[in-house]
Amino acid sequence: MSKSRIDKFGERLTRRIAGYSSRRSFLARLGMALSATPVLPLLPVARAAAADAPKTDFERYAQTTDATQCNYWKYCASDGVLCSCCGGGSHSCPPGAEPSPISWIGTCVHPDSGHSYVIAYRDCCGKPVCSAGKSCWCDGGDRELPTYRSPLNNDIIWCFGNASASYHCSTAALLGSADASRK
Amino acid sequence: MLLGLFSSGAPGAERPAGEFSAPQRDYILACGGCHGLQGVSNANLVPSLQGLVGYFLNLPEGRAYLPRLPNIAFSTLDDEQLAAVLNYMVFDIGAGSAPAAARPYGAAEVGELRKQPLTEVTLTAYRRQLVETLVSRYRAPVALRGYGAATP
Repeated sequence: MSKSRIDKFGERLTRRIAGYSSRRSFLARLGMALSATPVLPLLPVARAAAADAPKTDFERYAQTTDATQCNYWKYCASDGVLCSCCGGGSHSCPPGAEPSPISWIGTCVHPDSGHSYVIAYRDCCGKPVCSAGKSCWCDGGDRELPTYRSPLNNDIIWCFGNASASYHCSTAALLGSADASRK
Repeated sequence: MLLGLFSSGAPGAERPAGEFSAPQRDYILACGGCHGLQGVSNANLVPSLQGLVGYFLNLPEGRAYLPRLPNIAFSTLDDEQLAAVLNYMVFDIGAGSAPAAARPYGAAEVGELRKQPLTEVTLTAYRRQLVETLVSRYRAPVALRGYGAATP
């Protein structure tokens, strides 16, 4: 019985591999890989990365230094123009605008620690909409739910509780840790 | 960890208010935006809870009313977490308002009640009816009528 094509191909391949490799070199390489693997996760960088892998694109590119940029970590669910571009701060209204008494509340991950924090997204109201540059208009949507889940939606202008419902800009106030304590 | 993270900031840097228990955190995330972090709301929009919400537990329909409220019944929390939030709301935020003999909500009880959400009634009228009984028979403060505003 003659050999099938597949058999011939398999034989040729095996012989060629055997020609330039040795079992010893394979074992040596395998051994090196096995002994190196446990060392790598012990490096501090690797550990920090493994602690909490980013879940969203926002978390991947978040920064903690410039509060006038949309990728500032607290703005993970900020939908609107940043008050920090309008004469206010990341958590304070510009002069003449008043904070909405109601807000929607979410959580953002601090990129350095990997911990989650509770953030209140409060609109500043009572003035016409702030005319800041395009880079100050953000559309973060981490852990936001659709409009029919209104308490967890950020498309709503939360100024409806104010004397004047005109929207000026958005803030993000840090309330505390989202990792529950055992008290 | 918290202090280490935030204390090195510039003057006026924001510091987190602190740590929350699990039900407190869930209350803040799901309810606190409108009802207030300490249960004091803008009474023009939604009821204040602080020192008030426990009065509903004087009546069986009042006890059932809270978990049957649509935003509570439709919560993304499971029955056990939801029962814990209700107990935090009634006995901590509403401290002093629940009758002394009131039992805490149980997970199974909440699980049953949330299957019957109050979607077929006019909520404000339903609430008003409960509140009138609570004010006239159970000495609930009249502030309960006006969502917690000083004048009903």
